[in-house]
Amino acid sequence: MNRRSLVSIGALVLGVAVLLSASVVAQVPAPLAAKRAPAAKVPAPTGKPYTPPKTPDGQPDLQGFWTNSTYVPLERPQGVTKEIYTPAEAEAAIKAAAEREAEQTEPGTTADVHYDFSQFGLDRSQSKFAASLRTSLIVDPPDGKIPALNAQGQKRGAERAAARKAAGGPYDSVQNMPIGSRCIIMGGSGPPMMNAGYNANYQIVQSPGYVMILTEMIHDARIIPLDNRPQAAQGVRQWVGVSRGRWEGNTLVVETTNFNGKNAFRGASENLKVTERFTRIADDMIDYKFTVEDPATWDRSWTAEAPLAKTEGPIFEFACHETNYGISNILAGARAEEKAKAEQAKKGSN
Amino acid sequence: MRNRFLTRVTVAGIVTCLAAAVTLVTAQTPGYRAPRAPDGKPNLNGIWQAINTANYDIEAHSAAQSPVLEMGATGAVPAGLGVVEGGTLPYTPEALKKRNENRANRLKLDPEVKCYLPGVPRGTYMPFPFQIIQSQKHIMLVHEYAGAVRTIYMADQTEAPADSWMGWSNGRWEGETLVVDTKGFNDLSWFDRSGNFHSDALHVVERISARSADTLNYEATVEDPKVFTRPWKMSMPLYRRVEPNAQILEFRCVEFVEDLLYGHLRKQPSQ
Amino acid sequence: MRAKLVVVIACAAMLLAVGQARAHHAFAAEFDVNKPLTLKGSLIKWEMVNPHSWFHVAVKEPDGKVTEWLIEGGSPNQLIRMGVTKNTVPIGTELTIEGYRAKDGGLKAVGRNFVLPDGSRLFLGGSAPGGTPAEKK
Repeated sequence: MNRRSLVSIGALVLGVAVLLSASVVAQVPAPLAAKRAPAAKVPAPTGKPYTPPKTPDGQPDLQGFWTNSTYVPLERPQGVTKEIYTPAEAEAAIKAAAEREAEQTEPGTTADVHYDFSQFGLDRSQSKFAASLRTSLIVDPPDGKIPALNAQGQKRGAERAAARKAAGGPYDSVQNMPIGSRCIIMGGSGPPMMNAGYNANYQIVQSPGYVMILTEMIHDARIIPLDNRPQAAQGVRQWVGVSRGRWEGNTLVVETTNFNGKNAFRGASENLKVTERFTRIADDMIDYKFTVEDPATWDRSWTAEAPLAKTEGPIFEFACHETNYGISNILAGARAEEKAKAEQAKKGSN
Repeated sequence: MRNRFLTRVTVAGIVTCLAAAVTLVTAQTPGYRAPRAPDGKPNLNGIWQAINTANYDIEAHSAAQSPVLEMGATGAVPAGLGVVEGGTLPYTPEALKKRNENRANRLKLDPEVKCYLPGVPRGTYMPFPFQIIQSQKHIMLVHEYAGAVRTIYMADQTEAPADSWMGWSNGRWEGETLVVDTKGFNDLSWFDRSGNFHSDALHVVERISARSADTLNYEATVEDPKVFTRPWKMSMPLYRRVEPNAQILEFRCVEFVEDLLYGHLRKQPSQ
Repeated sequence: MRAKLVVVIACAAMLLAVGQARAHHAFAAEFDVNKPLTLKGSLIKWEMVNPHSWFHVAVKEPDGKVTEWLIEGGSPNQLIRMGVTKNTVPIGTELTIEGYRAKDGGLKAVGRNFVLPDGSRLFLGGSAPGGTPAEKK
């Protein structure tokens, strides 16, 4: 990584910011009242390269608890043309989004049919997030948007849409429901690792020859070998692909292929290749960049930068499938509604 | 008949001897000392797997027919010498009844059938490898089966904040042995496919040490006053997966059980 | 023979981008927006599980009978990081739950607000909304 991009990263990154919740904490059970989120921290942008500490076996130390929670969208919003907000604009964008999240929903509306995230500390503003002046995580192409699908990608998209339609309604079967709702895998795993919305946390543990990245949801431990072994044979296909890593100076470069094609990251095929770069640029920040390539979907690669900010553990077990009562509730509810409709129709025709 | 009686006594005698021999099987190569990890602790890093039939039944058992007819011999149960020291699990009378009910209904009740997390110590002897990733503050156990993960806290130790499938583990070194103390279990996992179970009072203390360059000694002491009349112990060697480029692969089994769990709630074609 | 279809829901990918949590439409499929309810009861057990936690609440019906309701709440994981444990909400805690009933007809609901006897909401909820119009944002 050259000095110029380090400077620009330093300039871009506001550091780890925490917006204190506006909630009253005085009446809350004692353990929560006692614990307060730490104040916002803004490291001074610096041109000096940061030298990370080393693990006992000499790897740059990436260990600890990290979050990729962010208010920066993957793609540049409509109507925004600049790449970098001014600090005031970035603050305003975060504030507006945080207020939207904290808004109380209107009783009797679909949005109200949900527990309140803020009660459970699940709004982004209630825990650490990686702040940035960027208007989009995508840094290449320069317009901050995912490139257009090529002909193959469009064809595949159309085939998938047709298959969805043929499969019937969203609650006809569990297989018609979103992969995350089914507790198979969620977006935080990737790769690339995307903001999960809440519990957007990772634990990195290193041992000689390995880096392990544990994604909180759904307890996904990606073990990356560093010994230059060959990529797995084509017959091995995984939801998270198969990762191979190496250190280039202080940057961990991870290449992942062998995806199973069922995760369809932004419409990609099973030939997706993701290259991630992890560089610790401060005690409390890892610069995380990922490049997405799939000639069967896009005619060019695209790259995003989504910093990881230091956060607190622990990562409690996110056992999802085991207590996924929602699936049977939703399916049973849909069947009950169909039954009621059918009985109404019968009555109507009598 | 006299011959049948003698045969029964002989078999019982052999089984008792073999059960006692389980404790001797795991004897250390005299004087073996594992290489040091970079921080000076014994190096237990690696990909490990048990080679036994404890996951079918942790007690001594004979080979038996498959509970699923169509699987024929591929679903049949292989025999096992048992991994429980002393041979029989010390259930209370009510718990033994429950164990036997579990066993009689195991296809419906075994959490493994539903791709649920395996719990402890079952995760150790599932027929899948697991990887030990050893760092100073945390030692991670990453299981291929269902991607189960255990975090062993070597520092910043606290009590379990809530119950979980894999429990809350605090670890320490006693010389060459990693001692892992785990509590905070829910009551939903089993010890094997044969209905052996526990309550949420389960407390497991594991002792793991290097036995040779490519084997570990593994012992687990299990305590559960709601289910057993006294603590009991199991032990087994663990074998390193030594093939080049060995790695933990994906056994993301949720997809494999969705029709089993939710098929009855599928929309049926209209009449 | 049922053909196995690999169905990829693109909207899930989009939802994951902006925050997987905001899958309101799935909740509106599980619980009925036309069946709002208010339950008063005492806590039997808070199942601190994922992907959503469940409060088991003993509710006294008008006829004096006590029924056990299951009320859906959020993942406990962030609360655990903030110091909440299984001992934080004692068994027997009186709760008023405002929410919506399950579509499948069971004694289940989603808890829009979990309100303690002093009017505050559980954990980080602050005051219960819908008090004075000025409190609504």
